[in-house]
Amino acid sequence: MINNAYLPLSLTLIIALPLVASALVLLIPTRWKSIKGLVSFTVALVTLLISILIYRNNFSFSFPWIGFGLDISLRLYPFSAFIVTAAQGFAVLVSLFSIKFMEGREHEGQFYSYLLITLGLTSGAVLADNLLLLLFFWEGLLLVLFGMIAVGGKEAFRSATKAFIINGVTDLCMMSGILLAGYLAHTFIISKMNLPATGLGALAFVLIMIGAISKSGSMPFHTWIPDAALAAPLPFMAFVPGAIEKLIGIYFLTRITLDIFKLSAGSTLSVLLMWIGGLTLLFAVMMALIQKNYKRLLSYHAISQVGYMILGVGTAVPIGIIGGLFHMINNAIYKSGLFLTAGSVEKQTGTTSLEELGGLGRKMPITFICFLITALSISGVWPFNGFFSKEYIYDAAIGKGLIFYVMAALGSFFTAASFLKLGHAAFLGKLQERNQKIKESSVSMLIPMIVLAAFCIFFGLYNSVAVKIFEPIVQASYTGKETHFIFNISPMLAAITGIILALAVLNHLLGVKLGKDGLHASDHIRNAPIISWIYTKAEKRWFDPYEIAMKLLKVFSAILLWIDRRVNWISDVFMVKVSYSIGSAIRRVHLANYPVYLIWGILGFAAVTLFLIH
Amino acid sequence: MILNIFILILLVIAALWMVMTRSLLRSAIGLALVSLVLTIIMFRLSSPLAAVFELSVCAGLIPVLFISTISLTYPLSKQEMMEHFKARLRRFWYLPVLVVIVGVILSLLKIKPDITLPLPESAKDVRDVLWNLRPIYLIGQIIVLLAGAFGVVILFKDSKKDEH
Amino acid sequence: MSLLIVIPFFSILVFNLPFLKTLRKAIFIWSIFLFLSQIVLSCCSISPSFLTKFAKPLHLFNFNLNLDGLGVIMLFLSATILLFTLIVSHSFIKEEKRRFNFITLLLFTLSALNGLVMVRDIFSLYIFVEITAIISYVLIAFDKDMRAMSAVFKYVILSTVASILMVSSIAIVLLLTGDTNFTVIYEALHMSGVNPLMMLALSLFVCGLFIKAGLVPFHGWLPEVYSYSSASVSILLAGILSKALGVYTLIRVLKNVFGLTSQIGTILLVVGTASILIGAFGALAQKNFKKMLAYSSISQVGYIIVGLASLNPLGFIGAVFHFFNHSIFKSLLFVNSAGLEKEIGTTDMAHLGGLSKRMPITATTSVLGILSAAGIPPLAGFWSKLLIIIALFVSGHYVYGIIAIFASVLTLAYLLSMQRMVFFGKLNEKFISVKEAGFSIVLPAIILGAIIVGVGVLYPLVFKALILLLA
Repeated sequence: MINNAYLPLSLTLIIALPLVASALVLLIPTRWKSIKGLVSFTVALVTLLISILIYRNNFSFSFPWIGFGLDISLRLYPFSAFIVTAAQGFAVLVSLFSIKFMEGREHEGQFYSYLLITLGLTSGAVLADNLLLLLFFWEGLLLVLFGMIAVGGKEAFRSATKAFIINGVTDLCMMSGILLAGYLAHTFIISKMNLPATGLGALAFVLIMIGAISKSGSMPFHTWIPDAALAAPLPFMAFVPGAIEKLIGIYFLTRITLDIFKLSAGSTLSVLLMWIGGLTLLFAVMMALIQKNYKRLLSYHAISQVGYMILGVGTAVPIGIIGGLFHMINNAIYKSGLFLTAGSVEKQTGTTSLEELGGLGRKMPITFICFLITALSISGVWPFNGFFSKEYIYDAAIGKGLIFYVMAALGSFFTAASFLKLGHAAFLGKLQERNQKIKESSVSMLIPMIVLAAFCIFFGLYNSVAVKIFEPIVQASYTGKETHFIFNISPMLAAITGIILALAVLNHLLGVKLGKDGLHASDHIRNAPIISWIYTKAEKRWFDPYEIAMKLLKVFSAILLWIDRRVNWISDVFMVKVSYSIGSAIRRVHLANYPVYLIWGILGFAAVTLFLIH
Repeated sequence: MILNIFILILLVIAALWMVMTRSLLRSAIGLALVSLVLTIIMFRLSSPLAAVFELSVCAGLIPVLFISTISLTYPLSKQEMMEHFKARLRRFWYLPVLVVIVGVILSLLKIKPDITLPLPESAKDVRDVLWNLRPIYLIGQIIVLLAGAFGVVILFKDSKKDEH
Repeated sequence: MSLLIVIPFFSILVFNLPFLKTLRKAIFIWSIFLFLSQIVLSCCSISPSFLTKFAKPLHLFNFNLNLDGLGVIMLFLSATILLFTLIVSHSFIKEEKRRFNFITLLLFTLSALNGLVMVRDIFSLYIFVEITAIISYVLIAFDKDMRAMSAVFKYVILSTVASILMVSSIAIVLLLTGDTNFTVIYEALHMSGVNPLMMLALSLFVCGLFIKAGLVPFHGWLPEVYSYSSASVSILLAGILSKALGVYTLIRVLKNVFGLTSQIGTILLVVGTASILIGAFGALAQKNFKKMLAYSSISQVGYIIVGLASLNPLGFIGAVFHFFNHSIFKSLLFVNSAGLEKEIGTTDMAHLGGLSKRMPITATTSVLGILSAAGIPPLAGFWSKLLIIIALFVSGHYVYGIIAIFASVLTLAYLLSMQRMVFFGKLNEKFISVKEAGFSIVLPAIILGAIIVGVGVLYPLVFKALILLLA
């Protein structure tokens, strides 16, 4: 516990310390670059300690900044405290991991600097109690995202641009949504906002929602993530799309459905959210299934899992929201864990292409065990954490319509199938010639993985702890209806889940038989009629809204160019000629003598006098 | 009353002479004359302070400055003067026309100056207002004089030296 | 407060005493000290408590002076620009005696401007306008350049006409109200209602000020005077002298004496817009740096007047803010032109080019000045133009607002083409050995540029201070 007087200072520190430290990291000369990682680790740890110390406080404060309704107002309450603490925890682990991983890479210093900025901005966005301030931090994250992908190398620049454009457009939507919401509510203070989600309010909700779900990486705004996966450094993938973006995206989505707007269960918007969630989880996992690259496969899962959360939050019933939030933290844990195992593999073998991997389980046992635990979690196997959150979401989904449950269950089936394939292809099977000499990763890389795997088990065994964390958040919005929530896992749903998982194993065995090895275990699905056509088109990026928009943009720009040339003639040739001839006429007039000027003056005086007297 | 009108007519004649005469020297003397007549008017309006000021500065100092400056110039010949006159006529033939037009416009607009003098109750004497209550005028006047004199000195004194 | 007028004046007297000739060398230091202390004083006066203390009339002389927020801004501007003029002139006027004379004139200017700012009675106002005008004649003709002489002749004629108009106006006012004090006149005029004689007085006075400010169609004298006067004098003229004579006095008289009515608003609107347009178009066709700046001055003063004409508080604040900005950036540009004149000897743009490589500081600061003049964010000029344009829209003068925006584009056009012709492009072979202007020219340029950037970036603070001062 910490004295109340220090609360404003500690809140400011949480935001400011990483931002300041990021500048310091850049200033450290390259000669001592080895300590850059250490600095960012320490800073993340310090902020983590601060937020643990102030965790239980319920507190808000503000001081004026620019004026015009834009004040710095921060609010610490259980939800924001939890998200901030989690984000800092991930920052600690990822920076510890990166110390070894980033060693000797290009732009090492920039990477740590971006990591710290991301941490600071995230804390700011989560703690902000003013929508405009939140927007400020949010846009900052966009810029950092661009920089962080771009440090990956030359190829990365293209991906970075893509990520920037997609997120820029959706952030624009969010910006207009926020302005609209502020206009409707006559305030930008989040804790004072309470809008109905109808009429203009619905429009504002949808606009803000687009920003939030795009940040968390939902369809159809997801397409930059798989591209970035190949280009950007792996710790970035583990930190940003793996953990941070889920945390703040879903955090904000929950805030708008619970606090800012009152989304009632069964309303059109709720159904819309559920459809987005369902389709995202299903399509993304289908894409994940056929990937032949460790990182790319994981990145599609990063998208797919968001679908579960959106589905959960979108149901707008307490169990669904708690399930969604629980899944958010679970996913952040195991997804960054998985990305870190990918990082460990890449560091040791120099590749993440599944065709060049195989049989690593014996060479890298600890990595393999961590992978196993996290993969079982993501597949939703009892008693790991993923099982419980998914069960809650199923429970909520089946109450809203069978179709949503079917989508979620199908997604679960494919998730399990793709991880069976991934584990089989990477860690089992025959060891490749080129990988004969590899060793297990160093300790500083293993610790974060182990910690994350341990959390997977912890949240699985003590799932009631997680429910306790999220209960007060949801409770605040449902006061008077249910004072306490008791969730039980429905035995029937659990049984169905078990059957689905068993089916996935069977499917995998069938695939291995047909495809000769683990790598090709999903080929029978890939080559199935109709589905194969969709896959072919998807691989050609037919369904990528970014590519479609870019093609449309080209046609549009050609038209604009034609118009522009015509307008240009008017502005560049015609206007200039007219202006200059007026100018030189005036100049000629001014070559006169003083009596002429005097006459102008007298005439002017006469005009003024006549005007005034009349 | 008659005396006042007579003095005013004198003032107009002096001013006209000052403006119309071709010789700069005579013009400067005319200026002194105008100031002199003005001084008389001021005395008659019983504001001796202003009158003394007018007499010393406008009738005394300024014409002296003018005359000393004019003495540095040389006169034009008769022919040149005629040419200047003609050129001036050519250039400003429209001035009288303009005056007539403005006059016609003004008379067409029929402005009737319906003047009522809204003098405030505690109206002070004009002389009192202008001279007795505001010492800043005096400071201002002194600065004007000094600045003018200073300007004339630095602008024209050196050129006098150059010529001699 | 009266000391602000009296100290410079008595120091002139002391330095000019014939038996104190040894003292004359100290006049440079002394005047710098005077200007600096006035700057500090006016900066302190931004805090209202200091202002009230400072503005408490000193009963040393019965002067009837007063100081308000607008006055404080004027005190700051006049001291700043006089200081920079003094510094710049140091590298132009080498001869000891001439330098002494010049500094004496600057002290005269200081005393006169301070008087102009603080008097609260219409006749004293006229007297101080006259003093300022006389000093400006002498300053313009200071170099005895023939072109400057002919320019100043035109100026004297027009300015005298203006003085006649103003004196007649004062006579009528005195006839109507019986006093020359601002408040007395204001109350008397408002009690009596509208009458044609008062309108005549108003028209006379306003037209006189239009001539002094150089607004279309009363502006004939301005381009030649600005461009033919010597480099340091044009900084002073464009920066503060003609603005204080015309614009400040106009604001003061309209606000405190005649009152801003919608009728006078219409006149200001028409005159201001005409000035904006004719100034901008005129500048477009110029081939000389200084002449272009002179036309630009007409145009920018038009903005101030238009802001005033919007008749709402926002427009008034915008006008005063633009007044301030215009003084700063126009003197910056004239300082730069002084640098060119000093190093190259000409300001004719056809002969220049590519000088940014040889004179980097001059080129950079001139870009700042230009962008501020054209109203590019986040520089100071942007905010004041924005305020003026918003004020116009608020008052419903949409057409004038759009013209103001359009003219702002024109401003950018002519100033950028000037920048390109002078500083960018290929370096003329003749100027290969040109060096950066001396310290005494570069220093004011840098400080003025810093003011532009600082005021622009700290706009929220500046805006608050302005509201505090002008409310």
